[in-house]
Amino acid sequence: MNVLALDFPPVSHLFEWPDMLFSGTAYAINKTVLIYLAAVAITAAIFLLAGRKTGSLVPAGVQHVAESGVTFIEESVVMETIGEEGKKFMPFLTTMFFFILFSNIFEVIPGIQFPANSRMAIPITLALVVWVIYNFVGIKAQGFGGYLKNSLFPPGVPVALYLIVTPIELVSTFVVRPFSLAIRLWANMVAGHLLLVTFAVLTHTLWSNGFVGAVAPFSMLVMMTGFEILVSVLQAFIFTILTAVYIGGSLHPAH
Amino acid sequence: MRIRRNRLLAAPLFALLGIAAFASPAQASGESVGGCMAEVIHEAEEHHGKDHDVLHDEHVQDELEKCFEAPNPILPELNEIVWGGAAFLILFVLMVKKGFPAVKGAMDARAEKIRTDLDAAEQARTDAQAVQADYEERLADAKAEASRLIDEARGAADQVRTDLMARHEAEMAELRARAAADIESSRTQAIADLRAEVAGIALGAAERVVQSSLDTEVQGRLIDAYIDEVAGGNG
Repeated sequence: MNVLALDFPPVSHLFEWPDMLFSGTAYAINKTVLIYLAAVAITAAIFLLAGRKTGSLVPAGVQHVAESGVTFIEESVVMETIGEEGKKFMPFLTTMFFFILFSNIFEVIPGIQFPANSRMAIPITLALVVWVIYNFVGIKAQGFGGYLKNSLFPPGVPVALYLIVTPIELVSTFVVRPFSLAIRLWANMVAGHLLLVTFAVLTHTLWSNGFVGAVAPFSMLVMMTGFEILVSVLQAFIFTILTAVYIGGSLHPAH
Repeated sequence: MRIRRNRLLAAPLFALLGIAAFASPAQASGESVGGCMAEVIHEAEEHHGKDHDVLHDEHVQDELEKCFEAPNPILPELNEIVWGGAAFLILFVLMVKKGFPAVKGAMDARAEKIRTDLDAAEQARTDAQAVQADYEERLADAKAEASRLIDEARGAADQVRTDLMARHEAEMAELRARAAADIESSRTQAIADLRAEVAGIALGAAERVVQSSLDTEVQGRLIDAYIDEVAGGNG
């Protein structure tokens, strides 16, 4: 796409990757899939290696990374939103945090530079898994009727307002939540990737037409790269903490 | 163990190299608009022949318009859902079975060890305080005992000194008395000796004076009278 002499690639070129193996099948492998697999390999390697170093009193290296992650999820996510009862969800929440984080962070890894969560597959899959889990937890904790009643008729609301509140709660809790969860992650990663590509293309074009003009977009590219690292971590955290909030809400309807 | 660790480290490394090698940005897909149009025209020409005006063919135009349609980016691809879902599931199972319990177990064990060590340290401190108190009590007792012994020793020493002084004084008195007696005896003896000596001298002198001899008894009487006279004259 040629805009104001900029050779900006079509959006499909930025997010869709050709199949490398099993082309055209439901199990075709492309760059996005490889990033998912890398996220699995990295997370598993960190935790399996950290789990083997049990003797040292002061954690270091991967052990420190894994333990910091676990402590972060426990103290900043689970204990803040669910409480002691939520510790049984720790493995799920930790897995989700690291998987999303490593899928995102490839956005700034040189040579790869693509956030796998700018594709909708994992955001929507995880969001639907979360939807199933928090509804299951709610029904198990409060019973089907109790869960529906507490979800649709929040206590403390004047009866007349239920006419407005109940439909909103119905749509918000059972329909919108998984999509808002998925779209928040997906859209943030898409936007970040587009920003990086935009400044990279600008830098490249202006570099070709004289070096001086490239300074500003290159500075922005460096800044945005740092910012996207923050966004990658933040989005993984937001997805995880919202999951914990939903689970906590299902366990403790009064909150 | 080292080999297993290296394998674990190698897995993500290979994955990263794989992504970089086989899916570099240059390979981004999505055929270009121009490429798509060229392909449609090429296919139409092959189908209808070169003489056919494919650009005015309604079907070809529909196909060409499709080349401008970008795929909806919000719709997930099935293969990515399959692989992504499977990847997450595998990771979740790995984490639940091995990774998470190992890390959390190590953290809990460390926390337990630290708690146990702190308890042991607290116990040791309490024990040490008890021992210190015991030692201080014993030290105070020892000091008191030492003080008592010193007082006793001082008392005993005073007693010994008093006894020694008394004995010494008694001995001195005895010695003094004995010396006085000796002196008295010596004086008496000396007086007797002197008297005898003086008597002899006086007798000799008298004999020379009177040139006469007297018997011994008269001599003695005369001498004693002389001496008494002399003594009375001196006294």
